[in-house]
Amino acid sequence: MKNFDFALLGARAVQYRLVIMLVAVAVFGGLSLDDFLTVNTLQSVLDRATVVGFLALGLTPVLIAGQIDLSIGSMMSMAGITTIFMQPVIGNVPAAAAGVAVGILIGAVNALMVVVFKINSLVATLATLLIFASLALLLTNSYPLSSEDPIFGLPLTADFLWILTPRSAIFLIAAVLMFVWLKLTPTGRNLYAVGSDASAATSSGINANGYIAASFVLSGFFAGLAGMMQSLSTAAGSPVAGAVMLIPAITAVVIGGTRLEGGRGSSLATLGGVLALGALTTALEYNGVPSYTQAIYTGLLLILLISLDRIVSGHGGASSRAQRSVRVAPRNTPLPRRNA
Amino acid sequence: MNQLVAPARSLDKSTTPGALFSTLSIPIAILVLVVIGSVASPSFLTVNNLTNVLNANSAVGLIALGMTFVMVSGGLADLSVPANVAMGALVTLGAQESMGTGLAALMGLLVASMGGVVNGILIGYLRINPIIATLGTGSVLLGLSQLLVGGGIVYAQPSALSTFVKSSILGIPVFIWIFIFVALILHPLLARTSFGRWSLAVGGNYQAAQASAVPVRFTKAAAFAMTGFLAGLCGVLLALSNGQARPIIGTGYEFVAITAVVIGGTSVFGGNGSVLRTVGGVLITALIGNLIILLGFPSQATGLITGAIVLGAVGIDAYFRRKAGRL
Amino acid sequence: MIARRNILVASAAATLLFAVAGCTAADTDTASGDAGSVEGKSICYVTLANSHPYVTPANEGAQAAADAAGVELTIVSEEFSAQTGAEQLNSCVSRGVDGILLWPADENSYLPGLLKAEQAGIPVVAIDTRAGDESMELIKSFAGADKYDQGKISAQQLDGALDSTGGIVVIAGQAGNGTEIARSGGFLDELESMGSGLEILATVNADFDQQKALVASRDLITKFGDQIKGVYAQDDTMAKGFLQALEESGLDFVPVVVGINGEAGAFDNIREGKQFSTILQPPFRNGELAIETLIAVMKGETVPEMVPLENTIVDSSNVDDLEPAL
Repeated sequence: MKNFDFALLGARAVQYRLVIMLVAVAVFGGLSLDDFLTVNTLQSVLDRATVVGFLALGLTPVLIAGQIDLSIGSMMSMAGITTIFMQPVIGNVPAAAAGVAVGILIGAVNALMVVVFKINSLVATLATLLIFASLALLLTNSYPLSSEDPIFGLPLTADFLWILTPRSAIFLIAAVLMFVWLKLTPTGRNLYAVGSDASAATSSGINANGYIAASFVLSGFFAGLAGMMQSLSTAAGSPVAGAVMLIPAITAVVIGGTRLEGGRGSSLATLGGVLALGALTTALEYNGVPSYTQAIYTGLLLILLISLDRIVSGHGGASSRAQRSVRVAPRNTPLPRRNA
Repeated sequence: MNQLVAPARSLDKSTTPGALFSTLSIPIAILVLVVIGSVASPSFLTVNNLTNVLNANSAVGLIALGMTFVMVSGGLADLSVPANVAMGALVTLGAQESMGTGLAALMGLLVASMGGVVNGILIGYLRINPIIATLGTGSVLLGLSQLLVGGGIVYAQPSALSTFVKSSILGIPVFIWIFIFVALILHPLLARTSFGRWSLAVGGNYQAAQASAVPVRFTKAAAFAMTGFLAGLCGVLLALSNGQARPIIGTGYEFVAITAVVIGGTSVFGGNGSVLRTVGGVLITALIGNLIILLGFPSQATGLITGAIVLGAVGIDAYFRRKAGRL
Repeated sequence: MIARRNILVASAAATLLFAVAGCTAADTDTASGDAGSVEGKSICYVTLANSHPYVTPANEGAQAAADAAGVELTIVSEEFSAQTGAEQLNSCVSRGVDGILLWPADENSYLPGLLKAEQAGIPVVAIDTRAGDESMELIKSFAGADKYDQGKISAQQLDGALDSTGGIVVIAGQAGNGTEIARSGGFLDELESMGSGLEILATVNADFDQQKALVASRDLITKFGDQIKGVYAQDDTMAKGFLQALEESGLDFVPVVVGINGEAGAFDNIREGKQFSTILQPPFRNGELAIETLIAVMKGETVPEMVPLENTIVDSSNVDDLEPAL
């Protein structure tokens, strides 16, 4: 009996984890700081969450499809330096579009590697992570590029609609749009099917490879968006801008509740994860907690949440499911051989 | 059990183009790099330089050997490596004064192994996704290591052990001997023992392995514990030979190790792979680094070249295997 | 290489920011500079890192100076990422603190945040590294020894010791890292402006890591041997890696090795004649000086554009008179 209650409590805790975390951070911040629960703080948390948010949002469909994309940071750096470099050449808005296009292009390369050449996404995107991080440094000779028109990007982080800034508004809209796509359209639901079991999805007539390819391109698009916004709002294109972004983005997605095993997740959960992590970081920073202590807290939180999730959801088989969904086996392979 | 392992073995022994590729690709790649090196630089084929090549990745190579077991058993990858390297190094130097170099080194190994054991429990027994689990533990442990030393550099005291670590035996540096020694233990462990067969079985088909009474949880956990231990060993050796250590000591080693294992041809999906192949992978990454400097390429190009080789090697391998599968 | 625009651009940008902002911003700012006491006021310090041999003592110095003045200091770390730092700068501004101390991780990325600080009337002082010229227009003062200058000093040291002739290798820090950029930039610019005859044989990035420097140096020594007359290592840790490789090689040439940071290990190597020089800058004092300067600005006092912290060159002549920085 007691055991049952405990399990139920655990299940509820997992279910409402984002609400619990946000409330906990608000209470902790409010109690420890006089100036935490203000409109300014809220605006700042939302605005700061934007860049990691775009990356995390792009990662969500990839994870739902049972894949992973480690190259988001490198795509972001490439998009940022492209945007800033192209500004004086083709004008501000086309340059921004070019930045996003570079993201899409690299996303397409990832898709090609995973879907056509059948390289495991962990390996393929590790390789493109290395390649494009290296390329960004080579192209810029390791120096950050300075924008020729630093004023253009400033409005992105200016005040806009009470607690928002233009870029955080775009981020929120993107999260909602993605939610609608994933949950309310047939193509969105098909993506979950692909992530749960690619071969089953294929045999029921879903073009699994197409969905996986699309998820990588989408991830590239969002990484491009993140790089473009970041570079414009800081008026600089740094070749290492995205180097530190991968881990926070994955952490945010997972804290939100999207699983690496595929077939489960939501963009609103990612939004919640991004905000919870952002609010926690801000509260700890305002309290002067050193970054390494923050890393300890974040790491523990991640382990705690994922353990709780695992214990509550009970039955195992997750790891084998992971492999099954990651492997997009060609149909009717007699002896499923796990190649990488 | 044998049936489970049989497919991987038979592929290697058959004579399809794919099998030929996967058997010969590493020797050929090494040969190609050696030829490029000898043509392009007169200093390449010297005893000194070849020792450099072997020595370059011998420390991080230890981790790659452990990572082989992680990948073979379907554990994807261990991202907590830098934290365990830092722990091994910092604990060793931090405890050196109070307990003497030998004991301090053991202490460093112990702490890093504990990190590996925690990973093993989370991944093997709680079945948490390895990427997330090791991301979490890595974050915690690296944070702890920084908390321990603040911002400081921890300096070593002169000791017989560190003199030994820096020395050479028969003209070959001790680092290389240690790498060879560990590889000579781990290769048969994977290729010939029950534990090795378990690892391959667990990575090949988890449920089937479980059904045939393989201790699946233990096997998976052990791979991570082993990697933690080897990362610690890497940290201890670096700290003793460098004479100082900082928390950033192992930064990026997880990616170097993963790259070496993958270039060696071990599958990230688990179920096949060999330690010998990883040794080949370690050699190839070391050759790339060596050639970049000898040929005068900018060091920023390392990632570009390594990444391209990974894509090429793995892509061709996947192509042949798919073809073999269809035949 | 980096475009310099004049202050008009910056002020135009500030104006535009006002217009776009619709002026709902920061009514919380209090930095009106009522001369006299700053007790109880708050300072936000965006530092480069929390755990680093040079930065940590600088942070401690800043904390000590803030405590002495009764100012509340919040330290946030950008962890070497200018992008993170730019976000933190924005966050400090929107929090409405009374003063901001900024450790720029690169030249360019802080301009928008600095404009916002200017708009909110919050004074900003930079520590250790200069930001770009445009950004510096919005920064009240700079307290530090400047890594760019350190690069220049290293160039002078090497050029002088080698009579402006011979081959050198550069062992640089992590590509794209702010410190690497400043120390490389200063070094290369100074060599050029001196018209130095030194020839750079190779440049490698060893990420401020001894082991990486060791591995790269073995290869450099194999390739160039005693052609290497001089070595510019962007910190003492990497200089140590080179010396280790040289010792292993058994070759008996003695290149001129210059490092930076004033580490204890470098002091030993200078005493033993293996290393030519290093550059010592006292980190704790750097932190104190920066906070004292910022407090002076907050009090409404006029401060110089640059409050210099001495870059002390350590070589065999003075190594026994000085204390290592770390």
